[in-house]
Amino acid sequence: MAVLPMRRISIYGLKSQRKGVLELLQRRGAVEIIQQQPDSDALSLMDTGAAQSQFAATQATARQALEILDVHCPVKKSPLAMLEGRKPISLQDYQQGLQRVKDSATAAGHIVQLERSREECSAEIIRLQTQLEALEPWLGLDISMRTKGTRSTTAFIGTFPQPMSREQILLGLAQKLPEVKAIEVEVLSALPQQTCVFLLCLSEESPAVETALRSMGFSWPPNPSKKPPSQRKTQLEGWIQEQKGKLASILTEISGYADRRDDLCFLYDYYAMRIEKYQVLSMLRQSRRTFIITGYIPAENAPALEQELQQTFTVFTETEEPGSKEDVPIALKNNGFAAPMEPVLEGYSLPGRGEVDPCTPMACFYYLLFGMMLSDAAYGLIMTIGCAVVLEKFKNMESGLKKSIKMFLYSGISTTFWGILFGSWFGDAVTVISKTFFGTEVTIPALWFVPLNEPMRLLVFSFLLGIIHLFAGLGVQFYQCARAGRWKDAIYDVVFWYLLVGGGIVYLLTMEMTTEMLGLGFTLPEPIGTISAICAGIGAVGVLFTAGRDSKNPGKRFLKGLYGLYNVSGYLSDILSYSRLLALGLATGVIASVFNQMGAMAGGGVVGAIVFTLVFLIGHTLNIGINVLGAYVHTNRLQYVEFFGKFYEGGGRKFNPFAAHTKYYKIREENKP
Amino acid sequence: MTFTDLLNTLGVPMALLGAVIAALLAGIGSAIGVGMAGEAAAGALTEDPSKFGKVLILQLLPGTQGIYGLLIAFLTLSNIGILGGSADISFAKGMLYFFACLPMGFVGLWSAKRQARASVASINLISRKPDQFGKSIILPAMVETYAVLALLVSLLAVANIGKLPV
Repeated sequence: MAVLPMRRISIYGLKSQRKGVLELLQRRGAVEIIQQQPDSDALSLMDTGAAQSQFAATQATARQALEILDVHCPVKKSPLAMLEGRKPISLQDYQQGLQRVKDSATAAGHIVQLERSREECSAEIIRLQTQLEALEPWLGLDISMRTKGTRSTTAFIGTFPQPMSREQILLGLAQKLPEVKAIEVEVLSALPQQTCVFLLCLSEESPAVETALRSMGFSWPPNPSKKPPSQRKTQLEGWIQEQKGKLASILTEISGYADRRDDLCFLYDYYAMRIEKYQVLSMLRQSRRTFIITGYIPAENAPALEQELQQTFTVFTETEEPGSKEDVPIALKNNGFAAPMEPVLEGYSLPGRGEVDPCTPMACFYYLLFGMMLSDAAYGLIMTIGCAVVLEKFKNMESGLKKSIKMFLYSGISTTFWGILFGSWFGDAVTVISKTFFGTEVTIPALWFVPLNEPMRLLVFSFLLGIIHLFAGLGVQFYQCARAGRWKDAIYDVVFWYLLVGGGIVYLLTMEMTTEMLGLGFTLPEPIGTISAICAGIGAVGVLFTAGRDSKNPGKRFLKGLYGLYNVSGYLSDILSYSRLLALGLATGVIASVFNQMGAMAGGGVVGAIVFTLVFLIGHTLNIGINVLGAYVHTNRLQYVEFFGKFYEGGGRKFNPFAAHTKYYKIREENKP
Repeated sequence: MTFTDLLNTLGVPMALLGAVIAALLAGIGSAIGVGMAGEAAAGALTEDPSKFGKVLILQLLPGTQGIYGLLIAFLTLSNIGILGGSADISFAKGMLYFFACLPMGFVGLWSAKRQARASVASINLISRKPDQFGKSIILPAMVETYAVLALLVSLLAVANIGKLPV
């Protein structure tokens, strides 16, 4: 309903009870702690940076361990699991969990260690396998690859960079060294990119042979094996097996930790809470034996918390009204109808100083506009039922998400409502199906009218809705000014505009040209025209003289007044902007009809029915997706730009209480006040 | 066959040309736009894959022009009787349909491209400040206003031409 009033709370306590007080505050999550500079020599701040970074390191280990478990022993999660929210655990369970924290931290460290050895092991296997592959062409050699020859012979074991046969090598050598006769060549393997050879010659001829070989592209192999290649192969294979065995045992060891997943989650959350606690700890003013906590608390929660603190600990608490210059955080509280608007409002900005919470007026229009843009009864029912089922099934959902889903639930109801008014059920599916498959034409009649047949009528209605929306925005501005006692502003900025814009519109309706163009069945009589023209005149003069009231200089004041009057064009474009209600509404219906017609192209019969079902399912899923997105974006736009433009500035800071901002678990309190 | 008769055989082709231009230009604009935004979106995802949902919405924003183009094209096709019924309209009416389709085609093309640039900028915005999602979708949505206005003009024209006595 409103922005919650905040109070500033100060808690004075003994250091011996500091831990207890902080833990209670964290569990209650009602106070936003603010940092205060020590104002006397006796008080000082505590530096907890080192402890915090140590906690963060442990938390990171827990996160890594969880990621490793997710890779090696994945848990099947349904795509809806993200809706489930944090798992609630009781205070007892939490305290029991605390005892396992140390053990879990060791486990997390061990898992990370194991993962490292697993990585090393895999790398080693790849290395050995590469060596094995390099050895493959040499398998024909039954002596060590490092053989230099015998006493009187020299061996050349190496490669040529192209495929060569024994004959080619011998011919090449014979051409280069006609005098050398005793050469023995064996081609071990010939591949397109290399030929492995074993060559033997007399020792005294070896320098000449080597030069000749080099000129033919001969080179020594890198890493020649000491043992004969086949033996080396067996050795390498043995090592690979060994590493694979090691890898398997590491993996079993890691999977052995799969049942510790919950403990690791707990560990992660535990450190998240401790980090937050230590952050707060560094903000407290402390003396040798005492500490002071200062923060903001919503006024409605203050008495209960004060009472609980005073009963449990020896502390002194006091609350006071925050000063007018303080940067007080904003917390909103709304009923079930308007609360779903809070995330939408946060998407823009929270109310600034002195501004009202616009959620309730926003909600009234939001659902209406959204429904009109989507305007298909069947789509609306799908949305409504889908959201209702999700809300029913996942009761434990996080509150932000829950609000968003509720917003779509209400929007779905409104969509159904408009769909029935406009006679749209999956577009014209009923007509198409009955005509194609049953030979008769059945139509669900529109309760009001069919927009495609009378677009002008819907356009006029959209403008009317727009004018109401804009005037409601001005109304909120009036309320805001009146509440702050600025009656003059209320009259200058709101009443004059009501007169000017309202009078102008009514005057237009007295002219036959406009009413004919808009297709209205009536024209307002002459006297009303005169009255409305007078109203508009008063409004215009009022705006002209007051819009520039901030300036002292009369010339400047007048110019500013003229500029203010120019804002009429702004109202015109604002109202025209609501034509998107018509455009988007028609878009849904027409695209739906396109899919229906496409489906019906295969004609009746069994094949036709199958084709129709397929096209229907795919087409309408697509259409819902696109148009829900469109309706959401454009409803937001109408709220943010047109509606908020009339009264809202925002700029408030969100209330961010000291609480357990955990990821996996939520501690449930049995004795929550 | 008189000259008027000859001219009137061009009624349906002219109207069809209009329908095709609406679908063609707006479709091209959206294809370019969604493509551009998609590239930026993929870039943003390399840093944080969890933003997929938000980034996808921003990528889809310039895609609506193509749908509006399709809408006008379809409405024209159905009004001139190509999708069943007799396709027989005068040259003057054919020209009217042709002109009626132009706003959607041209504005669709340009607004989709410009909206895509705003979308790309917004994707960069939320990859740095994920909490500014509300604002980031409004900036590209402002561009869409003009596509909506063009749609409206084309739509009103196409829907009402049939009633004219030409």
